Amino acid sequence: MSEGEFRRLDVRMLLVHPVQEAVRFFPALAAVFITGRTSGRSPWWDLGALVVVVLLGMSRWFTTRYRISGGQIELRTGLLNRKLLATPADRVRTVDVTAPIWHRLLGLTRVEIGTASGTHSDRIVLDALAAPVAEALRAELLHGRAARPADASGVDPVAARHDAAGPDLTETGADVADRPERATDSVAAIPETVLLHLDPKWVRYAPLTTSGLLTALAVWGFALQFLGDVIGPIEAAVNQFEAWGLWITVVVLVVAATVGIALLAVTAYVLAYWGFRLTRHVGGTLQTTRGLLTTRSTSIEEARLRGVELSQPLLLRLAGAAHLSAITTGLHHAEPGGGGGVAPLVPPAPQQASLGVGAAVLGDPEPLAVPLQPHGPAARRRRYVRAVWPALVLVVVAGLLEWRVGLPRVLFGAALLPLLAAPFLAADRYAGLGHALLARYLVTQEGSVYRRRVAVARDGIIGVVVRESYFQRRAGVATVVAATAAGRQGYAVLDAPAPVADTLVVDLIPQASHFGRRSDCDEGS
Amino acid sequence: MMSILAAQGIWWWRDPASPQPLQWWVLAATVVTETAYLVVMPQWRYRVHRWEVTPEAVYTQTGWFNQERRIAPIVRIQTVDLARGPVAQLLGLASVRVTTASSAGPLRIHGLDHALAVSLVEQLTELTVSDPGDAT
Repeated sequence: MSEGEFRRLDVRMLLVHPVQEAVRFFPALAAVFITGRTSGRSPWWDLGALVVVVLLGMSRWFTTRYRISGGQIELRTGLLNRKLLATPADRVRTVDVTAPIWHRLLGLTRVEIGTASGTHSDRIVLDALAAPVAEALRAELLHGRAARPADASGVDPVAARHDAAGPDLTETGADVADRPERATDSVAAIPETVLLHLDPKWVRYAPLTTSGLLTALAVWGFALQFLGDVIGPIEAAVNQFEAWGLWITVVVLVVAATVGIALLAVTAYVLAYWGFRLTRHVGGTLQTTRGLLTTRSTSIEEARLRGVELSQPLLLRLAGAAHLSAITTGLHHAEPGGGGGVAPLVPPAPQQASLGVGAAVLGDPEPLAVPLQPHGPAARRRRYVRAVWPALVLVVVAGLLEWRVGLPRVLFGAALLPLLAAPFLAADRYAGLGHALLARYLVTQEGSVYRRRVAVARDGIIGVVVRESYFQRRAGVATVVAATAAGRQGYAVLDAPAPVADTLVVDLIPQASHFGRRSDCDEGS
Repeated sequence: MMSILAAQGIWWWRDPASPQPLQWWVLAATVVTETAYLVVMPQWRYRVHRWEVTPEAVYTQTGWFNQERRIAPIVRIQTVDLARGPVAQLLGLASVRVTTASSAGPLRIHGLDHALAVSLVEQLTELTVSDPGDAT
């Protein structure tokens, strides 16, 4: 690809941009149309507004130009408010190629370039390029440097690491293939290794994830807006429930909700992960490709990968399944509440798949398999106290309500359930709590309902925060948060015994060695 | 704290039955807890608060009921800010904020003497001039 000259977006965007603008300005257009009808204005005004919007959309194609030149990526946008965004090409950490359904119909893809700063405004979005052009751009950005002679000579550390992890991969069964495959796109010269293929049977794990519940809540919220239209059916249903009586109603509702959520979860899983493929390129990138309608393909520079996160929500854990994400910079909000830098490496699938991929990606099976150092009796006590307290408060409140206002017995019984579950929750939370410090990784694990094991690279840890609440100090424990620039930005080792926490801080940040133990004049009054 | 008092003010004003005993009890409880808070919290916070800068790392300790210690190696520092609010200017104070590439670990040193804060910023800037990478 020739350097230096500015390139435009794909010319087919002249079709897409006006539609996008029309959707964006739909409220304004609707207002113009409605006021026009009521005031008897000439319909030419409406047409004029539409033409303005269409021209505005088309102007985006004429005003957006980009180039890669002299180690810089430059993006010029804007008609009136002109903007030039320039970023050094060696700050590129991720390249995200997305194709929503309407883009796919036209053979277009949207390219998002994530840089080290990770802030949203610094992301370079090219919406959209022809699919082959996007692939070439991705290869240019991520593999262009690796293709230089200096890097290509000698032993490729990535390949060496991969060979070391080979035996573990083959043990994980047919799902995790280990065969080189030629890329099918225009840059077929770059060989790739397939680390993981989606097995369609894995869809059975979808109902065990929380995505179905979240989708159901979203659908419910959307449906509430149309509540007025469905009053009739609701009344019919309520009448039916009265005829059935309480218990049958509860059973029917629970079954209906479960089936509905399961169906939604399966739909969400298929939409998000269909055709999931994780590949490793010789240039030193990992690439995931996924999606049924909107296809999404993310490239992560492997040298910038700061670790992995193995997630096991309770139901998945009971089914022996897990999912794995990469911890990296340059990705934004892939997961709600997760902050930036979380990209799925393995969808919900049998645990072995995640462990195999984790070992291959980290170059070491140990972080995800190593037994963890437990955090001792004080941490165990805190798990019980923290699980039982809220449940106890709930029971007391329910008891008071029953005594004073006559709460139904059923509700009081329901309020007892959390108290019965609390000890089991606490025991499981303690069983899952722990950390391990390996030569290259800090491994930490916590949680029961959502258990998460994180392996974060020690050379990516750029600071430490030690948190101690009053109760933690009394119990003699502390929470150590390892700060990184990647992923969730901070990974916590929860409730480690205070001496262990202090040692851990010094191990993580050797420069901290001569800041002594915290002072004794701790409790002022 | 002001909002609690304001809420009670509205209650006294809007409730036709006021003043009633319950309102006096609530007011008394508020005054007692707020006084205790004002007496205890600042002293406790001041006793806990520590900071230290060595050629290798910056260290802070803050908080009172919940405490936090933060450590950042000098080589990982990205920016050093000095901030002075209106009250701080009146009292001749300043705050220094040290950030790294992670949003989880900015270090804040509040209530420094202004001259000391300026020299601290200069010292940190000198220490961070050599740039061995920010681990992003």
